[in-house]
Amino acid sequence: MKLEFIRSGPALVIENEERLLVVSDLHFGIEADLAAHGLHFASRSAERLERLMRVIDSANPDRLILLGDIKHSIPSLTRQEYHELPGIMETVRSRVPLVIFPGNHDIGLERFAREGEICPRDGMLIDGIGFLHGHMYPAPELYGNLIVIGHHHPLLALRDEVGCALQEPAYIRAGLMTGKGDIPVPEDRAGQTRLLFMPAFNELAGYDISRIIRDPFSPLSRCMDPGSAEIILADGTYIGPFSALVQDEDD
Amino acid sequence: MKTIERLDPRVRSCIRKRGFTSLSDAQKQAIPLILDGKNIVLIAPTGTGKTESAMFPVFDGLLSLPAGGGFKAIYITPLRSLNRDILSRMQWWCGELGLTVGVRHGDTPMAERRKQALSPPDLLITTPETFQALFMGKRLRQHLAHVRYVIIDEIHELAGSKRGAQLAVGLERLHVYAGAFQRIGLSATVGNPGDIAGFLCGARPCSVVQVPVAKQLDLSVQYVGDDFRHQVEVLKKYLKREGSTLVFVNTRVTAEALGHALFGHGDVEVHHGSLSKEVRIDAEERFKKGEICTLICTSSMELGIDIGRVDHVIQFGSPREVARLVQRVGRAGHQLNTISRGTILATGFDDLLESLVIARKAGANEIEPVVLPRQAADVLANQVAAIAVEYGEIERPRIREICERTILFPDCDELLEKVCRQMEDHRLIRIDGSRIITTARARRYLAGNLSMIHDEKKVPIFDIVSRRTVGTLDESFVVGWVHTGVVFITKGQLWRVLEIADGKLTVEPAKKAIGELPSWEGEQIPVPHSVAQEAGGIRRTRSLAEYRTEPDGLAFASAFFREMDKNRSLVPTDELITLENTEDGVVCNVCAGHKANEALGRVLSILLSARYGTTVGLELDAYRMLLRLPSSIRAADVRDHLLSLDPATMPGVLRLALKRTALFKWKLVQIAKKFGAIDPDADYEKISIQRLLDFFDNTVVQHEAYRELLSEYMDIDTAAAIVTLVRNGKIRVALGLHSLIGAGGLLSSRDQIPPPSGDSAVLSTLKRRLSQDDVILACMNCRDWKTRTVVSRVDDHPQCPKCGARLVAALKPYEEEQYAIVKKPRKNAEERSTEQRLLRNANIVLSSGKKAIIALSARGVGPEVASRILGTLAEGDAFYREILKAERIFVQTHRYWA
Repeated sequence: MKLEFIRSGPALVIENEERLLVVSDLHFGIEADLAAHGLHFASRSAERLERLMRVIDSANPDRLILLGDIKHSIPSLTRQEYHELPGIMETVRSRVPLVIFPGNHDIGLERFAREGEICPRDGMLIDGIGFLHGHMYPAPELYGNLIVIGHHHPLLALRDEVGCALQEPAYIRAGLMTGKGDIPVPEDRAGQTRLLFMPAFNELAGYDISRIIRDPFSPLSRCMDPGSAEIILADGTYIGPFSALVQDEDD
Repeated sequence: MKTIERLDPRVRSCIRKRGFTSLSDAQKQAIPLILDGKNIVLIAPTGTGKTESAMFPVFDGLLSLPAGGGFKAIYITPLRSLNRDILSRMQWWCGELGLTVGVRHGDTPMAERRKQALSPPDLLITTPETFQALFMGKRLRQHLAHVRYVIIDEIHELAGSKRGAQLAVGLERLHVYAGAFQRIGLSATVGNPGDIAGFLCGARPCSVVQVPVAKQLDLSVQYVGDDFRHQVEVLKKYLKREGSTLVFVNTRVTAEALGHALFGHGDVEVHHGSLSKEVRIDAEERFKKGEICTLICTSSMELGIDIGRVDHVIQFGSPREVARLVQRVGRAGHQLNTISRGTILATGFDDLLESLVIARKAGANEIEPVVLPRQAADVLANQVAAIAVEYGEIERPRIREICERTILFPDCDELLEKVCRQMEDHRLIRIDGSRIITTARARRYLAGNLSMIHDEKKVPIFDIVSRRTVGTLDESFVVGWVHTGVVFITKGQLWRVLEIADGKLTVEPAKKAIGELPSWEGEQIPVPHSVAQEAGGIRRTRSLAEYRTEPDGLAFASAFFREMDKNRSLVPTDELITLENTEDGVVCNVCAGHKANEALGRVLSILLSARYGTTVGLELDAYRMLLRLPSSIRAADVRDHLLSLDPATMPGVLRLALKRTALFKWKLVQIAKKFGAIDPDADYEKISIQRLLDFFDNTVVQHEAYRELLSEYMDIDTAAAIVTLVRNGKIRVALGLHSLIGAGGLLSSRDQIPPPSGDSAVLSTLKRRLSQDDVILACMNCRDWKTRTVVSRVDDHPQCPKCGARLVAALKPYEEEQYAIVKKPRKNAEERSTEQRLLRNANIVLSSGKKAIIALSARGVGPEVASRILGTLAEGDAFYREILKAERIFVQTHRYWA
């Protein structure tokens, strides 16, 4: 297995038997929601799609895995989404075969998907790697493998001596703990399970990593072992264990 | 014919009845011009009968018009409180003359507004914002067609601001309904009356009548020291000696502190913008009636609210600007032709010199000009929306025509087009060819954006631990600085931000943190370059002969200079810039004024942040800047950057510098609000406001933020001129010991300039991680010694204490068991290969020492990779970058993920 980190995504290429491009949390149609919160911006779907297509072109994958939250509005579709999504999906699909793991924002997405594109919400193994959006517990067969999830939008803030110097999307790699959460993680396979939290592709999304870890809000973030959490920037720079960063702050 | 005889007999009889025996200079000059139908700007100190000068001939004209029909005269003042004051004065006159008068502003009840719509008063008193609202109603618009006079009071307050620019366009929108009407502006003394006339009338002819103020001023400067109790004692003595006194202070905090200290006096009240309307009016009334003889006030009292007789004005601390001093002291001696007496109480070294300079300049009539905001794109956006709502749909050339009749938007076609397109992006208007069409949102927008004044929200800070609100932060601080995880100081305590949602900031108490944020201080009155420079001149000559000093001030100044000399400190002057090392960073003493220092400080900061890859904190006032820097960057480094500045490239550098600062982000938000992109009550939850602002790159919104910051907040031209003087040796630059001057001052403006990339933050994180990593040192010679320690504690060339050999392997904690294998007498093939690995490891440590140990501590770095890294011979940051590169390769491999 070999990984490539594409910073301009953020996106990830995982190469085993197949070459898979993974992209998470596109949130097309977020502008309608922003407007409801008093922020009125023209749709940036075209720019976002263009960026996605560039990533696809440079990665040249066999398949594209969309790791959920492709669209934004819940509980129903907005006019913007009705209008934009068919074209977006078709553009991507015409370039590369799609695999979709629906997220909590993907209500109504079926109407824009082709048969066979949509995978179970609790994920499945592809080429020996588990994939799911990450808002629910994984299907049992995923345990014991590397599980790639979205949903959390991790963002890392690093400070230098004088002030905050960097705020960037980042990955979290962590192990699992047994006996946490509502569903027992099978003990025999917990030790081998690795979680990989992907940063969001959407340019506005971002949630501080220390909050994800200290104040977990999803089934998998609750099951992760904070002591084992390591952070990697969108470009693949290894930042190191989360515990070391926390230490710095509390010195 | 005598002036007064030209007035209608009814007006003359009122004048007699009111007890005016003669006309003032201002009135004698202004009244005939107004009677002749001329546009006019009347510049005179407060209390010289300015309002009457304007209104006598206006009454005269109103009496000659048929009764009823619509508003005939509109009187605009910048403040509601002034409106009330003017109303109470006008009611008497209008009552006597049989004219109707009404007031309309934010506080006016609905019933009164409806009445005005049905039967409009002859004279309407209003604010610029409510004036804007008049165009929204159909019936009110009809009434506007009858306007013959517009009087703008305290026009100098408006002309320099975006409020004023909005009003200027408003006047031209009125012109569309009313045709040519007579324009009368009433102004305090300014340096550039011609610009005020242009602001009022555009290209139309306009007379300027100026009544000089300087010879009527009697100013003195008294040094009172920096001890607050002593300051209060001196103030008490003045209050005892004088009659009714206005005490002007620069901040609300000082007003409250003095009010508290003088509370025992019983006849003292406080007056500032944070107090409720009722409390303020009560204080004004009691002062007017003589029930109290001292009013402690902020700029709230600068404008001409009639508060009766003022015998003396005290300015507590430097007034910072000449215009401000003249205006404030002008409140004293309200009777015609009396001298205005004022005393500045100076509270420190900078303060004393600055006060002396300002007092001298006031006497010499050297008053600052009012700078008109030209081509302000957000004002244009606001007015396009207003016009779209007013007309429903309108051709863009007609909007252009309206705007270009003002002096503020010459040749604005291109800008107007950009503004309209941007507004369409934010769905505020629709565009159909050259037609601009209103939207449902536009009316809603207008209701929330009648004013160009930025209403700053206060964001509550909620402590999740104690579950209570611990204070508030200004919206500007939140927008500019705050994101989740950030640590800031407020109320002397550190807080970490957990969440920004539902209009509040959820925090938890934080322990010591690196890179905490300073708490925010609002924008302060800037000291102009000319004042700061002259104060620098006094520091150089040490001569106060030209200035109105008294013995205390003289004694203090010479003692201060003696102390500086005794400490061998260099005294920075207008011709000498000194740089001093301090614990927090480097102080640059430059006597350039706030705005030039803002520009210079930011240019230096971005160059330093780019050069050293670190964030630079910047705090400054009119005489010094503190650059907060990592301790490795010293005054000499800053000097080298200062000396290598090129004045020609400074504006470009400054634009770059601004982009990532809190101030810029805050300006963007303010301007984006005027373009309808951000609602007044928008909440910034969940999305990154910082990245949202990136959407404005290369738009008219960003352009306006630059325009406003570069023209109104900072003075890049003066900063560049100073650098030119440095280059040709007219201003020297020297390194000095940390001095009294360098340590002094209130650093009132703060910001941080982050480095262009996060590279250094990543590197320092890496260095910290590696130095804190555990390492097992194991002797590969005697094979009988190992120890566990952390990398930072390892010697440069570790040695086995047992056998003295330096063949020591550096193992990661999880490799510890491999050492046991090495000790085995008999090994299989795999074990022999492990032994080989450890020997290679030890050999690298033997030849490269601690550097090898650091490399070997990196993730996924074994002897092979370590020797490749060491083989590059990279040192310092380059060495660590090699490690980053190796780790980056490692995390792509199966080994890391398995």
